[in-house]
Amino acid sequence: MADTVQEFVFNLTFPFSRTLGSTLSTFASALAQGQIIGVRTGGRVIAPPLEYDPETAADAGTEWVRVGPKGTVSSWTWVPEPTNLHPLDHAFGFAFITLDGADTPMIHAVDAGSESAMSVGMRVEAKFKAPADCVGRIDDIIAFVPAADPSPSEGAGEPYDAPEENDITEMDAFCDLTYIDNASPTTTMWAKALMEGRLIGQKCPQCARTIVGPRGMCSVCAIELDESHVIDVPDRGVVSNFTVVTPVQYHGQTETEPFVRCSIMLDGADAVIAQQEILDIPANDVRVGMRVECVWAPASERSVADIDNRSRGSGGDAILGWRLTGEPDEPAELYLDRMM
Amino acid sequence: MAPTENDIAIVGFAQTAPDRRTQLTEADLVLHATRAVIADVGIDKSEIGFTVSGSCDYLSGQAFSFVQNTDAYGMVPAINESHVEMDGAWALYEAYVRLLQGDIDVALAVGVGKNSNSDPSTLYTIEFDPYYLTPLGADTWSLAALQARALLDSGKATERDFADVVVRNRANAKSNPYAQVKGDYSADELLAADYVRNPLRLHDLPPTTDQAAAIILARGKRAYDLCERPAWITGIDHRIEPHLPTVRKDITTSVSTRLAAQGAGVGKGPIEVAEVHAPFGFQELIVTDALGLDASTDINPSGGALATHAVMVAGLIRMGEAANQITKNGKNRTLAHATSGPCLQQNLVCVLEGDQ
Repeated sequence: MADTVQEFVFNLTFPFSRTLGSTLSTFASALAQGQIIGVRTGGRVIAPPLEYDPETAADAGTEWVRVGPKGTVSSWTWVPEPTNLHPLDHAFGFAFITLDGADTPMIHAVDAGSESAMSVGMRVEAKFKAPADCVGRIDDIIAFVPAADPSPSEGAGEPYDAPEENDITEMDAFCDLTYIDNASPTTTMWAKALMEGRLIGQKCPQCARTIVGPRGMCSVCAIELDESHVIDVPDRGVVSNFTVVTPVQYHGQTETEPFVRCSIMLDGADAVIAQQEILDIPANDVRVGMRVECVWAPASERSVADIDNRSRGSGGDAILGWRLTGEPDEPAELYLDRMM
Repeated sequence: MAPTENDIAIVGFAQTAPDRRTQLTEADLVLHATRAVIADVGIDKSEIGFTVSGSCDYLSGQAFSFVQNTDAYGMVPAINESHVEMDGAWALYEAYVRLLQGDIDVALAVGVGKNSNSDPSTLYTIEFDPYYLTPLGADTWSLAALQARALLDSGKATERDFADVVVRNRANAKSNPYAQVKGDYSADELLAADYVRNPLRLHDLPPTTDQAAAIILARGKRAYDLCERPAWITGIDHRIEPHLPTVRKDITTSVSTRLAAQGAGVGKGPIEVAEVHAPFGFQELIVTDALGLDASTDINPSGGALATHAVMVAGLIRMGEAANQITKNGKNRTLAHATSGPCLQQNLVCVLEGDQ
């Protein structure tokens, strides 16, 4: 069916606000001022600094040292086609760069123009963003560039006096990943049935339980179920559980008012379909035991574009929600033993 | 050896056919691998005292996928189950430790990864240091390439050596029915390819694979009920190094592999076959050196991680392949290695022995 999605792209995006702790706060606050620092610990200067000596796990202390802004490349690679996550939108190098005054290298980008310009031993220097754009994150340094003057950095290796209080104690970061999943055979069956206004389950030949929405297996017997095990199930059932969600305005949340999400046990089924919406009544009036029936979108308006392998039992835009049938509530003992 | 009740063996191993792009879900893959290994040893699932899997939600992009995957175990009545966000080899380690408690005698370890949903050049940026590396989009290919160049610079290997590793593994993979990448290649033709991350070419990188694998472990005499010639775990150890590759003293060596090999007792006798988990071909050179292996050991007769590389599975497959050498191929002492993290950060070494 043309309307059944075979492959779906989705972005996983969410923001982090990371607290930095004292060592990274000191580093970040100095970096935002255009100063790179390291920490002297265990007889060497680690730059960028860590809270602990990686050799001994001892507290690395606060003996801050000015490092860079020039340094020497000790290993390099070349990225011919940058991704959306890389700091530069044209071909560039990544390198181990031992900054003047430091004993351990840092990893950063080198904007060298061409691969042939890269070499072990090359002298590079940090190129910062404009001061107003610096937030104390490692990418305040846009990249390192070949050093115009290879002579040692001025002041490198000298002590750095950190202020009593750091200006920067948190860091914003953003996760942005793209996935392309494909519809499993079971997901495809479910989506096709939704487009036809049908709900389907799979009946296990071993334990005779009916699993809805189908998962391609019996999760009691651990055996595979396929198209031959598919049966139609009624589009009516009972609210077996629910929660009222008071939306917090986190990244991606589009709801603003409290809403209800129900688990519904369809008549004759042994597994609930979850996260269902009840129409026409206030969220706080929903109760366990209510008899409900499916409200289908008109055939011409149905869509299963949102049905993927993650949304097992979801009705997508083929189901508008569920409404009360007006029948008396169903006593819990009739559906308790079927729940899973 | 006469096993004591504290000796633990691999008695069964199964893997799904590797796929560059499967239509199945991770739960489907777990079901297939688990059913195959249960059939292989001829038990009922109710006889499994402990089940543990290794997988990562970020690979398939599905939150709580590891919970959905447990459908494949059949958990009514409830089972004793655990999960590690690591390669299945570490799940096996947990199963091994669990069996040492002595109250159960059969355990199942699973690894699963639907790797094709995500882009390996971006995904692993969130695995690394969130302050110093993630904001730069520092990717796993680039970090491996930085290690590779350091190895070249040390004089211990050449780009031709890198290519030779690939040539040998792909040739070995021809006899492995579960190999995804295999065939006869020459180093010259491989070296003619463009760099993806100088000095690494596409063939130096791990293939993208969707796959699951499962291993059954048994304790003491129970192992003989399930397997004619169990692969006894006579040593197993894993060690980890700092997460920032730049603070390791020498990135061209693997201290954690060397220490794990000592802990597992690798040097107590000859190793006939070693299955080494080197996602990037050149890393095989670093690992075999750290393991102290020489030309008398057959390295990766399966084609290793260059033949298939489902992240979260490839290490467990090394355990299974090394065990198969004992259970099915008459070898007496073999080694399995698994790795995790950037630039061989964490390494697990397991020595397997058969009765003689």
